[in-house]
Amino acid sequence: MMSLHGAAHALLLQQEVTGRVLSGIQHPDLSKFLVIGALLFAIGIAGVLVRRNIIVIFMSIELILNAANLNFIAFARYLQDAGGANAVAGQVFTVFIIVVAAAEAAIGLGIVIALYRNRETIFVDKIDLLKW
Amino acid sequence: MILSGWESVFFWVFGLAALVAGLLTVMARNAVHSALFLISALVSVAALFVLLGAEFIAGVQILVYVGGVMVLFLFVIMLVNVSAEEREEERLFNNSTQVTAAVVFCALLGFGLISVISRAAGPLAAPGGDPLMSAADRAAAGRQARAARDAALPAAETRVSRISEDTETVGASLFRYAALPFEIASVLLLVAIVGSVLLARTARQERAADDLDPGVPPEPARVGPGRSADVDAFSARATGAAEEV
Repeated sequence: MMSLHGAAHALLLQQEVTGRVLSGIQHPDLSKFLVIGALLFAIGIAGVLVRRNIIVIFMSIELILNAANLNFIAFARYLQDAGGANAVAGQVFTVFIIVVAAAEAAIGLGIVIALYRNRETIFVDKIDLLKW
Repeated sequence: MILSGWESVFFWVFGLAALVAGLLTVMARNAVHSALFLISALVSVAALFVLLGAEFIAGVQILVYVGGVMVLFLFVIMLVNVSAEEREEERLFNNSTQVTAAVVFCALLGFGLISVISRAAGPLAAPGGDPLMSAADRAAAGRQARAARDAALPAAETRVSRISEDTETVGASLFRYAALPFEIASVLLLVAIVGSVLLARTARQERAADDLDPGVPPEPARVGPGRSADVDAFSARATGAAEEV
């Protein structure tokens, strides 16, 4: 009797979990956007830590900034639907992040060109003048 | 903000495309391929912005990132020599211990973020829920609420498929609440322009722009048809330096 009860409970639980997963796939909400943003962020961090080519490292930084932008926009939309006070603040922040990313890319690539003129390499493990 | 119908299809398509393109950006051997994969990742994220009702940000993303920043990246890839990496003469990644540590760290980071998000997903999805309910009651209430919500959702009519009035609101909010940061951002962009031009110029351009360089004697004015030996030596050195840069 107890085992039957336990089996029925497990079946119910499984149905509940399956229903929740199916509903989440059919109707993605805020958390799915956040998961996409978190995974993009992790991929970008991995690119910064793993690659040797400094240009690809810069591209990974752009990926990280874009993940942050995705989170901002998702929360802005969530606040908009929840009736937040200034619901588009996230979008305004995103504009500034894009501006900072553009400035960072311009300066960083200028540094890359100057570095390549002086050191003839773009591999970060060969640019080790300051390494003790 | 719950998507339904075709919007959820587009969400999964563009979300997975962004993730795959991001992975390929990190993994690609050719730097130009990396840049093109990053462009597809950015366009996919822009599509997600459209799904979230932020058309203005999506347009800015396409214009600034794909039109400006990525073109800059491609120019720099052409200016520096990345062919050793393509010909497999150079290692693509750092040494294996560093790579293992980095991948483990990033996997932990990703799983941690996802677990935090999934733990917070319940309160975020249903704000104002009673935290004192028992787990079974909360599950039942959640099931009922989900069923009611799914029944109430029209197919792809959750305001996303229409162009919203958000752009107007974003502009008004930008200039009403963030006018000073906006001006600071324009000064920042000016500094970035000047700084990148200053960083990327060659040694000859530096000599031409600066008034005098203590290391290099100034070019003497040519008074007659004959040129002295040291002038010739200087010009030879200058051309050598120019070829070097």
